[in-house]
Amino acid sequence: MQCVRKITDDLYFVGANDKRLALFENIHPLPNGTSYNSYLLLDEKTVLFDTADWSVSRQFLENIEYLLGDRPLDYLVVGHMEPDHGASIHEVLLRYPKVKIICSNKASMMMNQFGFDCQKRVKVVKEKDTMSFGKHEVTFYMAPMVHWPEVMVTFDNTNGVLFSADAFGSFGSLDGKLFADEVDYDRDWIEEARRYYTNIVSKYGPQVQKLLAKAGGLPIKYICPLHGLVWRKDLGYFIDKYDKWSKYEPEEQGVLIAYASMYGDTECAANILANELCQKGITNIAMYDVSKTHISYLISDAFKYSHMALLSVTYNLKIFPPMNSFVEDMAALNLQKRTVAVVENGTWAPQAGSLICEHLDEMKEMTVLNEQCTILSSLNQSTYDEICGIADAIVESMKAE
Amino acid sequence: MLYQTTEQHEELRNKIRAFAEEEVKPIAFMLDKNNDFPYDMVKELAKMGMMGIPYEKKYGGAGLDVISYAIAVEELARVDGGAGVILSAHTSLGTYPIYAFGNEKQKKKYLVPLCKGEKLGAFGLTETNAGSDAGGTETTAVLEGDHYVLNGGKIFITNAPIADTYVIFAVTTPGIGTKGISAFIVEKGWEGFDFGDHYDKMGIRSSSTAELVFNDVKVPKENLLGNEGQGFKIAMATLDGGRIGIAAQALGIAQGAFEHAVEYSKERVQFGIPIAHQQINSFKIADMATKLRCARFLIYSAAELKGHHEPYGMESAMAKQYASDIALEVVNDALQIYGGTGYLKGMEVERAYRDAKICTIYEGTNEIQRVVIASHIIGKPPKTESSTMMQQKGPITGQRKKMIFNSGTAQERVDNLVESLKNDGYDFTIGIDPMTPITLADRVVSAGKGIGPQKNMKLIEDLAYQAGAAIGSSRPVAETLKYLPLNRYVGMSGQKFSGNLYIACGISGAGQHLKGIREATTIVAINKSKNAPIFKNADYGIVGDVLEILPLLTKALDNGEAKKQAPPAVKMHKPTIKKEASPWTSYVCNGCGYEYDPAVGDPENGIAPGTTFENLPDEWVCPICGESKAAFVEVQKEEEE
Repeated sequence: MQCVRKITDDLYFVGANDKRLALFENIHPLPNGTSYNSYLLLDEKTVLFDTADWSVSRQFLENIEYLLGDRPLDYLVVGHMEPDHGASIHEVLLRYPKVKIICSNKASMMMNQFGFDCQKRVKVVKEKDTMSFGKHEVTFYMAPMVHWPEVMVTFDNTNGVLFSADAFGSFGSLDGKLFADEVDYDRDWIEEARRYYTNIVSKYGPQVQKLLAKAGGLPIKYICPLHGLVWRKDLGYFIDKYDKWSKYEPEEQGVLIAYASMYGDTECAANILANELCQKGITNIAMYDVSKTHISYLISDAFKYSHMALLSVTYNLKIFPPMNSFVEDMAALNLQKRTVAVVENGTWAPQAGSLICEHLDEMKEMTVLNEQCTILSSLNQSTYDEICGIADAIVESMKAE
Repeated sequence: MLYQTTEQHEELRNKIRAFAEEEVKPIAFMLDKNNDFPYDMVKELAKMGMMGIPYEKKYGGAGLDVISYAIAVEELARVDGGAGVILSAHTSLGTYPIYAFGNEKQKKKYLVPLCKGEKLGAFGLTETNAGSDAGGTETTAVLEGDHYVLNGGKIFITNAPIADTYVIFAVTTPGIGTKGISAFIVEKGWEGFDFGDHYDKMGIRSSSTAELVFNDVKVPKENLLGNEGQGFKIAMATLDGGRIGIAAQALGIAQGAFEHAVEYSKERVQFGIPIAHQQINSFKIADMATKLRCARFLIYSAAELKGHHEPYGMESAMAKQYASDIALEVVNDALQIYGGTGYLKGMEVERAYRDAKICTIYEGTNEIQRVVIASHIIGKPPKTESSTMMQQKGPITGQRKKMIFNSGTAQERVDNLVESLKNDGYDFTIGIDPMTPITLADRVVSAGKGIGPQKNMKLIEDLAYQAGAAIGSSRPVAETLKYLPLNRYVGMSGQKFSGNLYIACGISGAGQHLKGIREATTIVAINKSKNAPIFKNADYGIVGDVLEILPLLTKALDNGEAKKQAPPAVKMHKPTIKKEASPWTSYVCNGCGYEYDPAVGDPENGIAPGTTFENLPDEWVCPICGESKAAFVEVQKEEEE
């Protein structure tokens, strides 16, 4: 049975939620599930904006069928070809054989690669091409590398709706809600929205900035992303977050403490550091054991906070593997402009710290504090003092900012 | 063909030799000992018409060939190596670029007086970070209306500060390596053009060598030599010819030493016969003579090629490299033949031994000569890391705050400095013995040549007392000026300072000095030249005259009480310096997200590091996904706040 909601006149949400999926892209945990958003415009022509993942295809198809009734589906606008949105294209084509696909040139090529025989039905559009469906006239804007090369966003000039593809999306199933103003976003959603952006899109900050510049000139009233809630109020709140994230600027003055500890000695150092920081007035701290925390959460907080303390044991003369993955992922996702304290531990040849510094050195504008600490097996008075010195250095560098 | 010089060549040789023997030889020892420049010799050479030998008569030259020029240098160097290089640097380096690349107006104004010997010429290419590799040039020339503004400095400049006319190389288009270098004619005496250290050299001490400093020197647009961007080409063409001069100089030095050794070996009797006839020495003499003949032929051949406008770059490099390499061998053997007598000051072979060494180093080290020769044979090597990348390594003393107080009155600048130091935790109520060894001192106030006459050292002593510091200096202040004992100069070759506070007064910041203060927690620079390298290596700086600033600073640190004994020094933490954004502008590919970083280039596709995105060839495509240049977008940088 259908499960649809009206967004504004002529426009309906026809997507669906999946709480059973464990890992998004088979990598990022989904404790709250996810939504696959699709939108149907019922104008003189009927227009579907993107499809949905195969796992929710039945609900998605029932939603369209219900809203269309006897009408044919005239157009399918494909903004993004990643299979969590494109997987059901084939089924839509089979059910609505007369539908015309509107997409970018690259999306058309990708459809071919994914095995959808639709070349004859594709209408390729370019930057700023427009189309009228009756009352509604839309303009297409290319958004390459946000976060795939074929991505295109569509703006409805008539009602101010921006179909933003994966931009402005989030993890999390909707649970009946549709609009961001129906939830306590800061309390229940921002963490997952950040985790979504930073792990999925953050590498492409410059391209997101280009998209934001394009969007800046449009009278947007609704943002309809492919995951998560629809925005119709306080758009500035979320756009501002995107602006910060894509410029790699921290949201908050605070410290992410991530430690890799095998037998608790490095963990002890992390605790002392956190303890010292709090005593010196810095309480905005998030602390994680990298072995127990999925990397996507670490990345998310690395983007959130201005400072980071990385404490790692040395493992086979290298950085402890989960910490190594974290540092490499940070570099892969283009994280920049953070201040980092580094502590290493080792019993015979501690060098995790210097290896972490090598990674950080390759990244842009990552400032490593001069104060560092090498623990030999476990803390003693002098390394304890060094940890306190690191806390001082973090406090000082926060003051400087 | 007969491999011989002409009668005219030998007549010229005799004329110069007679002059050298009569006028230069008698004073050579004193010139060497006192580091004196032979002004009279240069005047006499001008009268003889020898300051523009290979240049046309219409420009005031002698209209002779290049071999004649080589012979003149050889004959002067035969009695004094320094005398040889004065002529060589003037003729090949100072004059040639104007002759070959100047327009008629420039030639009339500058070439004629140079050829006539009314003016002395010099050539400024070498810098602290640019020697063999001119791509590291940091001196800049910025076009402002009808003139260029020149800033930076040059080191090891032969004939400076005596010379009147300088051909100077500076970057007019930054970021594109040697293609962005241009050449300028700069006159001594122009505002902002100063001379730094006169070097206390091992040899060729009659030749003057100094550092050039340019502070906002206005160079008229018409003094650009050739076109913008041609500088590297001009420099290389000039050095091609300059090598003949240096080769001739090496030959002359070795020839002189050889002749002395032969003479001495005939006089010196051991075991009943002149040592010349002992086989170990006779063979030595045979080898020396053979090497000299080889070198001479190489030089004259290169000179002849040049005179006939044939390609001669490889041949002149061979001549320079070979002549200077064998010169070292010949002077070594000559001194060996002299034995202990040759080891004494005042002996020509002793001077020749020292003079010869420079010939393997300057105007292209012999290593570079081999690069040149090899490149003629096997082509240029594939491009690797460029010098423009190396520049990114930053200052010698590591990342520093570089807070330069240059606004407000002198008093305000001093107050700002003192406040910053106090905020960093420096306590100025304590003091130490000003003669505490540099290596043990927690703070040092150091004097450079900018301090001026010795009486001004009182300013340093007063400041050191109030700052709770020991007294140190730059190398020339201890070694040349002798204001302080040698064990108080700071630098790589002197004492290393690893304490907390280093206050450099009138020190420009030569590389070797900066390497001695790398470990300092805080470096303060006070210098009147805003382009002094010390400012890039300092945490705090005041641009101003030490004579004005030091008394104010001393007063500002004075609390009116005697200094308390300083507690044992504790090394303070160096402040973390925020990592700066790359100066390069990156571009990202809209097809795949690949980032083109000019600092890295695209070596696999033949794009050298240092190539800006704009300068990528039009046919260049994304190395990852094959998108064209048009599919790239610029990575926007933060606006300066």
